[in-house]
Amino acid sequence: MSTQQEVTENYANPKTCFFHVLFKASALAFYILSTLFVNNFVIIFVITVLLAALDFWVVKNVSGRILVGLRWWNEINDEGESVWKFECLDGESLARMNKKDSWLFWWTLYLAAAAWIILGIFSLIRLQADYLLVVGVCLSLSIANIIGFTKCNKDAKKNIQDWTRSALLSGSVRSHLQSAFGV
Amino acid sequence: MSHNHGDTIPLHPSSAQSDMDEIESLIHAAPSPATVLPARPPSPTRASIPVSSSPAPSPVPTKPPFPAASIPISVSVSPVPVPASVSVPIGADGFGSPPNTLTEPVWDTIKRDLARIVSNLKLVVFPNPYREDPGKALRDWDLWGPFFFIVFLGLTLSWSASVKKSEVFAVAFAVLAAGAIILTLNVLLLGGHIIFFQSLSLLGYCLFPLDVGALVCMLKDNVILKIVVVTITLAWSSWAAYPFMSAAVNPRRKALALYPVFLMYISVGFLIIAID
Repeated sequence: MSTQQEVTENYANPKTCFFHVLFKASALAFYILSTLFVNNFVIIFVITVLLAALDFWVVKNVSGRILVGLRWWNEINDEGESVWKFECLDGESLARMNKKDSWLFWWTLYLAAAAWIILGIFSLIRLQADYLLVVGVCLSLSIANIIGFTKCNKDAKKNIQDWTRSALLSGSVRSHLQSAFGV
Repeated sequence: MSHNHGDTIPLHPSSAQSDMDEIESLIHAAPSPATVLPARPPSPTRASIPVSSSPAPSPVPTKPPFPAASIPISVSVSPVPVPASVSVPIGADGFGSPPNTLTEPVWDTIKRDLARIVSNLKLVVFPNPYREDPGKALRDWDLWGPFFFIVFLGLTLSWSASVKKSEVFAVAFAVLAAGAIILTLNVLLLGGHIIFFQSLSLLGYCLFPLDVGALVCMLKDNVILKIVVVTITLAWSSWAAYPFMSAAVNPRRKALALYPVFLMYISVGFLIIAID
């Protein structure tokens, strides 16, 4: 039984997981390999930053809502104030989210940011201000996504609690009807 | 004849009701009180049998439909709670089904983002009805347009440069990115009411005319033409940035907020002219 469960429990969205990791890995790999073998800073900067921006967009708009059912953005209301908007699936759908997808999502977010921090330290040690610029941009994008999804996750957990309460209420209502009919 | 028709019409819903009765019996079979419930329906069935037996002698072939009619009578009483239980999951499905951006296709997301970039560009660089109230213009701010314009300007300048392409690109990018941040902080420190990212977005979109000017200067290697083109695009960028920055601060401090903006654009203009 446990063996069968392990086999059947798999990634619910393998394609999305693949693209979620692909852009992060390609940005990091291109930056590391280019700084070792290529000497053209402009090309390194443009391609690495474009890959990082593409990763930011994909995580924020695609893999975030498919893998963990969350989405966030910032807008300005009529009073001219900045407002954070969080969107998540209803409690029932969130309860059915795949655990492996969620695990992969959060771990890759943190690992990518940690990798850029390490690379930034290396650039700082070697006193390369221009490459520090690349790392700064990529790190900003990673941290923005982490902050956005962390806030969104807190908001989603609150919704799950509300859904649990409503589910209990509906259950009690149904049992009440059955008992009334029995009488 | 009319009575026969009336009897035959309920037969169709009676079959559906009997199906619902079976479903209900299956539902109630699991809990133990379900066994008590069928004991009560037989008593109204017995009451209905004498009713059917009284007209029994006259229509001999109608005997079979009458007991069938009596069964749905008893069934109609029991399925009263079934619609209540059925409606609850319908409501739950309705609650889950409303569409939002979480369930939209990826292509719709891309189109919406691109449309927003184009809309923001038009609002900032070309005359728009919100010019008197700049805060409304960039309510739906984004940083994709500014990012593209900064990288494009850096690339154009570095391509124009014959030597030190890397330094030119790095300086251009750093000046523009850090410049936008410093200008926004300047307005905040002057006590202005401005939203950080909205300001970054606006200053980035205002680079569009300078991008066009840089592209023209890259293609034409004439100093006089460069000066004319840069002057025009510089004025255009300044004109685009003026209402937003001036509206954000106290009128008496307007000059303090606007001067650094013009200074940044002028320095970018000099970069465009000087690089050959």
